[in-house]
Amino acid sequence: MSTDDPSHDTEQSGHEHHEVEGPGYPTPAAMRTEGGREETAYVMAPRVGMENDGPDFVGIVDLDPTSDTYSELIDAVEMPNNGDELHHFGWNACSSSCHSEGLARQYLVVPGQRSSRIHIIDAEDPREPELVKVIEPEEVFEHGLSAPHTVHCVPGGKIVISMLGDANGELPGGFLQLDQEDFSIDGHWEADRGDMEMNYDYWYQPRHDVMISSEWAAPNTYYPGFDLDDVEAGKYGDSIHIWSWDDREHIQTLEFGDQGQIPLEVRMSHNPEETQGYIGAALSSNIIRFYEESDGTWDWDVVIDEDPREHEDWDMPVPPLITDILLSLDDQYLFFSNWLHGDVRMYDVSDAGNPRLVDRVWAGGLFGDRQTVQGEDIRGSPQMLQLSRDGKRLYWTTSLFSSWDNQFFPDIATEGSLMLKADVYPDEGRMELDEEFLVDFGDAPGGPARAHEIRWPGGDCTSDVWQ
Amino acid sequence: MTDATTHAVELVGTNGRAKTIRVEEGETIVDAAKRADVAVPYGCLYGACGTCTAELLDGEVCHQTSPRALKPSSLDAGYVLPCIATPESDCRLRVGYGIQAEVVGTPWK
Repeated sequence: MSTDDPSHDTEQSGHEHHEVEGPGYPTPAAMRTEGGREETAYVMAPRVGMENDGPDFVGIVDLDPTSDTYSELIDAVEMPNNGDELHHFGWNACSSSCHSEGLARQYLVVPGQRSSRIHIIDAEDPREPELVKVIEPEEVFEHGLSAPHTVHCVPGGKIVISMLGDANGELPGGFLQLDQEDFSIDGHWEADRGDMEMNYDYWYQPRHDVMISSEWAAPNTYYPGFDLDDVEAGKYGDSIHIWSWDDREHIQTLEFGDQGQIPLEVRMSHNPEETQGYIGAALSSNIIRFYEESDGTWDWDVVIDEDPREHEDWDMPVPPLITDILLSLDDQYLFFSNWLHGDVRMYDVSDAGNPRLVDRVWAGGLFGDRQTVQGEDIRGSPQMLQLSRDGKRLYWTTSLFSSWDNQFFPDIATEGSLMLKADVYPDEGRMELDEEFLVDFGDAPGGPARAHEIRWPGGDCTSDVWQ
Repeated sequence: MTDATTHAVELVGTNGRAKTIRVEEGETIVDAAKRADVAVPYGCLYGACGTCTAELLDGEVCHQTSPRALKPSSLDAGYVLPCIATPESDCRLRVGYGIQAEVVGTPWK
């Protein structure tokens, strides 16, 4: 079966409701074992803040190892405007809509983080995606929201996007709901945001009536660059928020304080029975596990605690800066990137509260002993991660965010960032950089670009939720 | 160069090369640069993100909305946001992708 098939037939997966066909897979294991090898990647490729002028694009990367153009950027869907800062993106439908007949994983929802413009791309043919609709920023601002980030499809014909700011790029943020059919804006998803002000990423477990959202800062704080004075002033997040998914109400805040400054990516277990997950606190460089207690409230523990490190060219010890984390589809391995230090780590989380470091790959960053691949300087450091469905290939890009890149890894602004890959051996608990694989976004048609979030047609380790 | 309704704005790039554009009354410098097909960096277009941050070398500009991306100290140092700024006189501005990072600096370094 083609791994790029956007409308994976649930009947072939032995789904219990044979009369209903929907997108995705009935279970995480079905996706892992029957999804097949990824043949194509979509990669967000912003040009904001680059030396060369030009629009951002969605890059199409050939991942079919039998192809003549394997490991190459083979096409690009350019945005109609400059300045969007494509960042994260998602699907109109995923495994959460597995029971919804007639629905297909066909459209990519591609927000501009800076512009607040939202693009809809038809990816029915995985290698020929085309832009079919643009929601202009003014339409978003009308709802008192800006800075779109995480996109998840939601059972019931909706798409929900976390929004980090109000119409002025200040707090509070919220959640924007789109209609799954025509991508019109419904309005706010949330009925009551309680004391939630800052927003960033979110994940949900519909079986347990829970959604978890995290905190970056107000757009007008993080957009212009990272300033420690803003941390001192309490302008960066240190909490996550527990919501009732059904009632769309905020019900609890978990405040981490110094142990959880700038909590970014939220990854709950793929197993829909589980009521736990992990979050990477970027600045504190801790991995925090959150979980539901028997009384229905939520609690948290720091389960991985990394230290800052002295560097001869820097005045102060530099934190690792955990910028992305990811769980394998079997929930056995947790991967995360230390964007300043330069390594990507692999932990065994089969004992969820006691992660065990099993391997790491160094590539770029301030401390990587490897600073080139195929003779190309590694500009930036491991950042956005994506894992193959079978858990055997880990890919990453090296750009974080245009203004932050320009502070910490300014070469990206002139020469673009990279996409790299490690081969993972889950049965042996190790991984190795694949030196044959390199996608240089510095060679992009139309000029160098950054490279950020990665997705596969057919769903991946950060796209799908199970009912 | 100035007439009743327009101002001449000289944009000095990172490489030292300069281009002069004419900015209509009430028009932002970024809009005028786009109209003249002169490349300048920009992002949000409403003063929140700072991608367009420039240094005002000569002349006067007026921000049409609050320049939220710039701290008071940066405004005092002469940095402006061309995406929301209209010239009040003929101006010279230093523009380029690297100015934003120069304003914020690099933590820990």
